[in-house]
Amino acid sequence: MDSSKELIKTVDLLLDISSVLMVSGANTSRVNLSIDRFASALNFKASCFISHKSIIMTLYEEHTTLSCTRVKNIPPHAINFSIISAISKASWNAVEERWTLSQIEREIEIIKKQTRYPKLVVLMAVSLAGSGFCKIFNGDYFNMGVAFISTFIGLLIFQLTHKEKFNVYLRIYFASLIASIVAATGIIFHIGENPQTALATSILFLVPGVALINSFTDLLENNIINGMVRFTTGLMTVLAIALGLFITMLLFQLN
Amino acid sequence: MLTTLLNLLEVAVWSGIAALGFGILFNIPRSTIFTVFMLGFAAGFIKFTLIHFHIHIVLATFIAVFVIGIICMPIAHKIHHPPVVFCIPPAIPMIPGYFAYETVLSVMNFLFMEDNSTKRADLIDAIFTNGFTMFFILISITIGISLPMLLLRKSSVKKLGD
Repeated sequence: MDSSKELIKTVDLLLDISSVLMVSGANTSRVNLSIDRFASALNFKASCFISHKSIIMTLYEEHTTLSCTRVKNIPPHAINFSIISAISKASWNAVEERWTLSQIEREIEIIKKQTRYPKLVVLMAVSLAGSGFCKIFNGDYFNMGVAFISTFIGLLIFQLTHKEKFNVYLRIYFASLIASIVAATGIIFHIGENPQTALATSILFLVPGVALINSFTDLLENNIINGMVRFTTGLMTVLAIALGLFITMLLFQLN
Repeated sequence: MLTTLLNLLEVAVWSGIAALGFGILFNIPRSTIFTVFMLGFAAGFIKFTLIHFHIHIVLATFIAVFVIGIICMPIAHKIHHPPVVFCIPPAIPMIPGYFAYETVLSVMNFLFMEDNSTKRADLIDAIFTNGFTMFFILISITIGISLPMLLLRKSSVKKLGD
């Protein structure tokens, strides 16, 4: 293969890796770190601009004039820590064992095919997490039951609307609205000792924890643009959640 | 004494479950499930023990999350996963959901329902107290989790250099 074709192939692979990392919820410095590792394993240097929606990367050899610049759009984000972990491990192995381009390609394909937890397992786990939250905020077992059911229904709505390709903030708003309406019935029928804890915790499964934590690590490492983008995304999510809760409170005239 | 300890342990177990639930939502690797649960348990236990000894919730949250961030480093080397994967989920149950709820509730009452001016003053007090507590807890979570990770990254890059 001639060297310019190989360069294009390499830059495409590196762009693919960084896009997968961004989608899975890695912070900017981790994406940079992984790109540097893979590039050094293949004896290249890479410089890139990473943003929320697209990545621009230039790949070059240090002692020649050969270089290649490409841009890749990033698909919508879906947090997946297994992929982050697997790519991190692959990058170490690639550096230590001097993997070839096709070896890395094969490994990335395998990583991308990894399955997620089944939807039902996620639903049960997150609903249990919701009732755990309720316990943390002083709810009793009845409140925890209400929190479980409302989280379950809210997340179900969130998952089902995913297939219909609605706007993500609209989905968050509807999930928050419906989860809080279900939990508000607990207040109306006085289920348990602190029914308001169930209402407060029913919407927490939507909280943008990863976006906010990543935004701070990005800001602390001077990746200001990405930090601001992530913070704004987190803020929009919080606003959508708060709006859903707000409407429920207004509907049920809680005070 | 024993009942307090049991209560603390119960809350800690539930915060471990909450951490694990979010971990599964974030699709953590299967081999980190136990670690995430234990870290969530430890974080909850530290936080609620500190609150039991009348330490303010903001400081208690910060200490709990910071401890998690610190002990993530040796664990990351031991189980061969990057620290982000298992130190973010245990921080999620610290999120100040109840303060957020109280803030939204007070804002709504202030805007749409309350006419009595003394009660409106109380509501302003509630908005500020709950709102700022929520804000500072969020700040302490993010700083507590990212500070140890920044310190770790330094050593990680060094290894690549040589």
